[in-house]
Amino acid sequence: MNALTLWLEKYFLPIAGKIGGQKHLVALRDAFIGTIPATMAGSVAVMINALIRDLPPQFFDGYDGNSIPIIREIIGINGFVWNGTLAIAGLIFVFSWGYNLAKAYGVNELSGGIVSTAATIAGVTFAFSGTLSGLSLDEATVTSINDAGWAATASEITAGGWGWIPLGNLNANLFFTAMIIGFVSTVIFAKLMLANITIKLPDSVPPAVSTAFASIIPATIALYVAALFYFVFAKVVPGMTFLEWTQNTIALPLLGLSQGFGAVILVTLFVQLFWFFGIHGPNVLAPILEGVFGVAQIDNVNLFQQGGTELVIEKGYMWVRGSFDAYSWFGGSGGTIVLIIAIIMFSKRKDYRTVANLSVGPGIFNINEPIMFGLPIVLNPLLFFPFLLAPVVSVSIGYFATIAGLVAPVSQQVAWVTPPFLLSFLATGADWRAPIVTLVAMLASFVIWAPFVMAANKVEPESTEENQS
Amino acid sequence: MIEISSPTQQDRIIDLLTAIDTGDVTFTFKEKKGISLYFDTTTDDLEQAAKIAKRAIKAEPWGSILYFRSVPHHQ
Repeated sequence: MNALTLWLEKYFLPIAGKIGGQKHLVALRDAFIGTIPATMAGSVAVMINALIRDLPPQFFDGYDGNSIPIIREIIGINGFVWNGTLAIAGLIFVFSWGYNLAKAYGVNELSGGIVSTAATIAGVTFAFSGTLSGLSLDEATVTSINDAGWAATASEITAGGWGWIPLGNLNANLFFTAMIIGFVSTVIFAKLMLANITIKLPDSVPPAVSTAFASIIPATIALYVAALFYFVFAKVVPGMTFLEWTQNTIALPLLGLSQGFGAVILVTLFVQLFWFFGIHGPNVLAPILEGVFGVAQIDNVNLFQQGGTELVIEKGYMWVRGSFDAYSWFGGSGGTIVLIIAIIMFSKRKDYRTVANLSVGPGIFNINEPIMFGLPIVLNPLLFFPFLLAPVVSVSIGYFATIAGLVAPVSQQVAWVTPPFLLSFLATGADWRAPIVTLVAMLASFVIWAPFVMAANKVEPESTEENQS
Repeated sequence: MIEISSPTQQDRIIDLLTAIDTGDVTFTFKEKKGISLYFDTTTDDLEQAAKIAKRAIKAEPWGSILYFRSVPHHQ
């Protein structure tokens, strides 16, 4: 065990450290974290609608929240919150991404956010079109529709117009395009700023003005590079925006890949390994957890808002960022609330019982620092295997229960400090079966943790500490 | 005294904290026990000292990904 620990410390930790400290990946992580005020507010709105609009019909026949005064108004207000948050989550992210990249390079953050947003939005669709077919129109109607600027035949009307950005270009669909275009444009901007290719104004000019002016040349060049790229792209791939191309060739395959059992288990294992060695797992793996599973989650939340759980099942993703919280990280990473229970039930060690009693309160809210460092679990060879294995088993239970349709997919963003059963209930759009799946996952984890807690009874506290020194 | 629990980067943590001098607060390394490092501090406000240490570690490039604990340690 010590040899494995030493090997991992020597070869695994430096790589983790480099990934975790890489400035672009740190900026990406912070960009996602930066959107939380908006995405969480939007999720609260969707969740309230789930509770007052979508949940009651499961229990009361004929319930229709949209026809009940006050409930109807609350649903409407929540709709406004959703419009300004999750409906345009990609737009919010692209600004946050540019801002944090510019911050990483030590240049004007506000200008970085603006450049990233402008360069990315420059390439989206600015028009809409839609066709109605199977009609039977008389000649006068066809003529008047054509005169109005739309295209009509006796059986079909094609409506179109310029000056409309489809919402599908600003929501979660924008994330991957934003990551590419926002990155390139902001890095060009930052490099030019650092190379001092700027307009310099006299010292007498107020700082706000001189800062904005200094950004003009780098921002203009960055935006022209993006525009030139879109121009060439349109020639090479006619009839498709870069956003559509990115969606089809990068985003959807990558998101599809994330839905495989192997990918989910791999991520689970790596998060646990990082934690065990005192590295913040979700922080290091944020590009995957937030950049892939998080994007899938926002997609699910939006689908839920549009068509409830049925639409999520039909068009959404089975495993998203919140699924880990719902079915595996109860009490914190490692499912440590189960370990606390096992210690209270089986441990004869005074030190274990003291730490477990102190850890119950925070553990209910998924804060496991006291038990991780108090026991400790970190770098404790005795608890290495259950700490790795229990989450793998509980994730598997949640994964296959969701795939088999025994529980609705996670479709709500819930704060990670929400107590376990309530968390999975809310995260699945108030599916009463979700807490049962969580309970089954907890029981399986308990079976894994319990023998190791009993084994620890035979180990002297001093010898455990010696192993960590 | 404050306690910093971190299995990695312990030497860097010691170097960092012993170099801190805010005027009111300084840290002196006392001992290492398992994954925990213990520091004497010049202030009586141990909560505040633990927060200063935590902020300082998190501000470092190597500290931003660290999973560690910084708490008062009452003898």
